[in-house]
Amino acid sequence: MEVPFQLIVRVHVRERVDSIDTLILPILAELELRGDQRVVRSTRSGTDYTETITVLAHHTGTIAIAPATLQAVDARDGRAKQYSSNPLTITVGGGSLDPLAGAERFARSAWHWAVRIAIWGGSIIVVVALAALIFHHRPVRVPAPSPEPLPPQPPPAPARSRRDQLSDALTVLRAERSRGSAVRVRAAVWRMIGASEGETLADVLQRPDTTDARMRTLLRSLERAAFTYDADLMQAIDDACASLEAILS
Amino acid sequence: MSEKRPSQLVDALAQTIVGQREVLDGLLLALLCNGHVLLEGPPGLAKTLACRSLAAALEGEFKRIQFTPDLLPSDIVGTRVFNQSEAAFATVLGPIFANVVLADEINRAPAKVQSALLEAMQERQVTIGPQTHSLPDPFVVMATMNPLDSEGTYALPVAQMDRFLMKVNVGYPTPEEELQILDRFAVADTQPVRAVASLEDVKRWRADAHAVHIDEKLKRYIVDLVAKTRHARGISLRSERGQTVDAGDLIDYGASPRATLALANLARARAFMDGRDFALPDDVRAIAPHALRHRIGFNYRVTTEAVSPERAIEALVAEVAAP
Repeated sequence: MEVPFQLIVRVHVRERVDSIDTLILPILAELELRGDQRVVRSTRSGTDYTETITVLAHHTGTIAIAPATLQAVDARDGRAKQYSSNPLTITVGGGSLDPLAGAERFARSAWHWAVRIAIWGGSIIVVVALAALIFHHRPVRVPAPSPEPLPPQPPPAPARSRRDQLSDALTVLRAERSRGSAVRVRAAVWRMIGASEGETLADVLQRPDTTDARMRTLLRSLERAAFTYDADLMQAIDDACASLEAILS
Repeated sequence: MSEKRPSQLVDALAQTIVGQREVLDGLLLALLCNGHVLLEGPPGLAKTLACRSLAAALEGEFKRIQFTPDLLPSDIVGTRVFNQSEAAFATVLGPIFANVVLADEINRAPAKVQSALLEAMQERQVTIGPQTHSLPDPFVVMATMNPLDSEGTYALPVAQMDRFLMKVNVGYPTPEEELQILDRFAVADTQPVRAVASLEDVKRWRADAHAVHIDEKLKRYIVDLVAKTRHARGISLRSERGQTVDAGDLIDYGASPRATLALANLARARAFMDGRDFALPDDVRAIAPHALRHRIGFNYRVTTEAVSPERAIEALVAEVAAP
């Protein structure tokens, strides 16, 4: 109560207009109008219209505000239509114009907080004291016998070198000349150079590991083997094998 | 004599048009796919020149129709006039009877005129009075829309937008390109585009492009991409204000099955232009924004949340793993 607040109505239309004259605002009989600001902003996709109404309530209780309505002809079907905003119900809280009443409220609130802090503070001291007492009387634990030492682990297998992986790829492609093996080899080579699943060849060719011309040729030939038509598949696999041999030589 | 390639056509156009590579590629892709292009961009970006040059480079006929609110369907398709000397009606064919038709500012004409044009685009024939006339082959419509001046325009209905194979956004040239434009057009008489291919070449290219192979994995990728436009809920993207937005909140409806066909055809055409007889995931990814941007129903929140449709499509495409 007696505190100004704002009601904001926003309208977006697809056309570009200077003003929206058919917007009907609700009657604010129970509120005092303190200001009304309209902003019309044209964007690429139409017009954004914002109306900000500043109002003041002079009494407490519930105030119902009817929806704002917009009447317009829909250009898509030529029919007149009415669009509405949501209705609002606001509850105005109590207040007083007497300055002494505010001071009294403040003093009462401060006293309540002081009592609460004292109760919580006392509780925390009691809990800490109890915890210290329990910890002090805890029995001393006998250390458990140490477990048998673990047998020595075999050293991890050395990571296969890039050359080994490409050699494997060549072996697979020579052994199984099919679309499936070409797709698997393509995926393995992509993993080898750090490409993630879901990237495309253009993404992969931008990676720093693929600046070598022979590697780029290999990637392109594997792409072809993965996506070309059946009659071209054997030739594509031959080209991929030749690219692998060129890198391995 | 060596066989002519589409790249020669693009090179010939590039001698007249500075930059605008996406527009030139778009025009050629539409030509190869037997489709039509919607160009959206501010005035003065060589849209008309590009279309006129394309027709000249193909030895084809070019017609330009300026769409206005008082345009009638008969102004486009033609009409029948009474010949008094012969006491009979004669048919006068409209400007739509050309190989390359520029429909300038298509959204300035009312729906019935747009419908007349788009029906002709779809059916590739026009009925005037009792007679049906086939449109020439190749027949490509390049329609333009100006995003800046939308007062007094009629938005294209969704069903009609869908009939455009692709929508290309025409952007401003870079400063370097603009310097080139200054130099190139400083002379009084600019060199006209010479013919580098014939209409028969276009028909042959079209057949070759149609024969480009699309693997099953790629077909699945295309279907998944289009499906993602219909189920975008849960995909997060950053707005221009740096806020996280759910793509599902921005989209009212996704792309139609026509988008699936368009993606496949455009991927084939792009592969053909690149000299390949098989399409790759890169082809699909490259043409996806052009095939999808006018087919996805973005709502007003792309404006209020400051997310461009391009950014939303980028996020959708990134969400689907390429094969």
